[in-house]
Amino acid sequence: MGFTELGIAARNLLAHTKRTVFLGSAIAAVTGLLILLLGLTAGIEQTMLRSGTVLMTGHVNVGGFIKTSSGQAAPLITDYPAILRALEGHVPELHHLVVRGRGFAKGVAETGGAMDLILGGLEIGRETGFRQVVRPVAGSLDDLAAPRTILLFEEQLPRLQVGVGDTLTLSAPTAQGVNNTVDVRVVAIAKSVGLMSTWNAFVSEQTLLELYRLKPGSSGAIQLYLHDQRDAVPVAARLREVLARAGYRVMEADPQPYYMKLFQRVTQEDWTGFKLDVSTWQDELIFMSWILSALNALTTLLLTILGVIVVIGIMNTLWIAIRERTREIGTLRAIGMQRRGVLRMFLLEAGLLGGGGTLAGAGLGLLVAGGINRLQLAVPESVQVVLMNDTLVLAVQPAAVLGAVVAVSSVTVLAAVYPAIRAARLQPVSAMHHFG
Amino acid sequence: MRQSETFVSIILLVSVLFAQIPRAVAEPLDAAGTVALLRAIDERQRSSGDFKSLVYMEQKERDKADVVYEAVIYRRDADDKWMILFLKPKAEQGKGYLRIEKNLWLYDPTVGKWERRTEREKLGGTGSRRADLDESRLADEYDPTYEGEEQLGAFKVHKILLDAKPGVDVAYPQTRIWVDQATGNILKTQEHALSGRLMRTSYFPKWQKVFSESKPGEIWYPQELRFYDEVDRANSTLILIKQVDLRPLDANLFTKAWLESKSR
Repeated sequence: MGFTELGIAARNLLAHTKRTVFLGSAIAAVTGLLILLLGLTAGIEQTMLRSGTVLMTGHVNVGGFIKTSSGQAAPLITDYPAILRALEGHVPELHHLVVRGRGFAKGVAETGGAMDLILGGLEIGRETGFRQVVRPVAGSLDDLAAPRTILLFEEQLPRLQVGVGDTLTLSAPTAQGVNNTVDVRVVAIAKSVGLMSTWNAFVSEQTLLELYRLKPGSSGAIQLYLHDQRDAVPVAARLREVLARAGYRVMEADPQPYYMKLFQRVTQEDWTGFKLDVSTWQDELIFMSWILSALNALTTLLLTILGVIVVIGIMNTLWIAIRERTREIGTLRAIGMQRRGVLRMFLLEAGLLGGGGTLAGAGLGLLVAGGINRLQLAVPESVQVVLMNDTLVLAVQPAAVLGAVVAVSSVTVLAAVYPAIRAARLQPVSAMHHFG
Repeated sequence: MRQSETFVSIILLVSVLFAQIPRAVAEPLDAAGTVALLRAIDERQRSSGDFKSLVYMEQKERDKADVVYEAVIYRRDADDKWMILFLKPKAEQGKGYLRIEKNLWLYDPTVGKWERRTEREKLGGTGSRRADLDESRLADEYDPTYEGEEQLGAFKVHKILLDAKPGVDVAYPQTRIWVDQATGNILKTQEHALSGRLMRTSYFPKWQKVFSESKPGEIWYPQELRFYDEVDRANSTLILIKQVDLRPLDANLFTKAWLESKSR
């Protein structure tokens, strides 16, 4: 009986080609759009996380603050080899780690250009993911291994008015609050990576030590990269306990990036000395979660509007179809088809239409997404700030495609339920007398 | 009777001390003489009672429109208390810094919050710091090295290199000062970073004095202060000190509550 209804439903779809193509195309378009939207959101999230976790934070960070007086704080850890020894064996999830300096300085060029910079101190030879995110357009990343060198981003050039080989003076107070300067040579200029390249610049670790007059073994944070970044929160909690047991003063978890803790919390507290601060990538990239939340809200709104349009469209079209086929329904009922059969027939018809439309839409969406990624479409600068990338990247995930197909098909079938019930309730005699 | 005798004696002692300065400094100085000169500079500016002045600050900064601030500075040197309350421009009105027990606090009325800041912070985004507008503590904070005599424009000056004493809280570890041999006034300073780089040049072309009954004696203060950023050369600050008032201030003036009440 089920196959009979399926056959009738399929024949109905084929018999009404125009309507089937129209409705199927609409469903396919909605599915394709949904896949592209989800791909765009996932792409932005992926790009932001990849850029953020390479440029600004590890999955888990062991940083800290030194306060020489109540009002004077610096984002520093001392004797990090000892901290590394304390962590040994406690992070089986660890993939690799890097040690990064943290600092703030005013950069002033000989040409007169100047701007405030957030400095990252690194040993370029030990950085693995850095080269995948930071793409030099001039100079060489390898030259960052030399002391007194700096890497800038393209968007900083108009303000600093420098090029590769030029000298920049970095001026900053030390942890004791005494002003110091270091002259650095610009060795590389990298392609901008959105928000994070607005203020960030990278110097060799040695340069930061010199600027802040720190002993070797001092740095900004130990950045730990895990096999799975979702383990960050439990790993951070475990490390807080491990480090406290090892005798370190450890700050409580606080979902804020280190620079906000520095300016808004640590300088306001009365303690002096040294405290460790264990943070996760979610804490350090909290501004990204704000952007992603806004993006998700926008996506949800768009999807809701799309969903409502689909439901209304399908209901309306099926309603018209039932009106047109009232006599046909009456005949089917007269030759013995039960009400449930009629209901199933219309639902199967909607299901077939939804299934076919969504599969076609998924294929279309994948093709368009692939094409956009292949074309590496450039995005305007204002959009780059949010995307953290200069090209549009769509990350279409299999689960998202499957979800879109199932969701749109389900909505199509659900939208058909009411018209199908109305069709099933028709009396055979009155239906056969209907002239539509 | 005894009180008036003591008063007269102090006046005479102070007069003799200041009468000595021009003669004492109008020739190359040895180490002891250099330290004595620093002490004399500090003493000339010391106010034993309260000190209030109206100041105008003009800030020139790269890529920004010039800003003129009007503020009132309050000092109670005996307790190391210091406060500045901004009156203009409108955006800065009610903002203030308060120094209590070596802690500098900033009050921002727009958010109604106090923030602890470093002693060396630039005030309200200008090129000046708290120490520029507070009492002089050169002898306490620096070890001097006499570098010789020089001609600074029309003035014959002593050039002295000052190195910050260990553990002293100063923004620049090394400062060079040019002291007018005729008056004992500082006419120019140059401050250097730890790296040795010149960071800021300051000029003090006009000095004024007011008589303090509580000191008792004259208190000297620079009427015009010009600060030039030597790293970012587009930045400079001009400060004019007006209407110095040495009358006693309210006892509860140097409190957070008082500053907050002024911003309402």
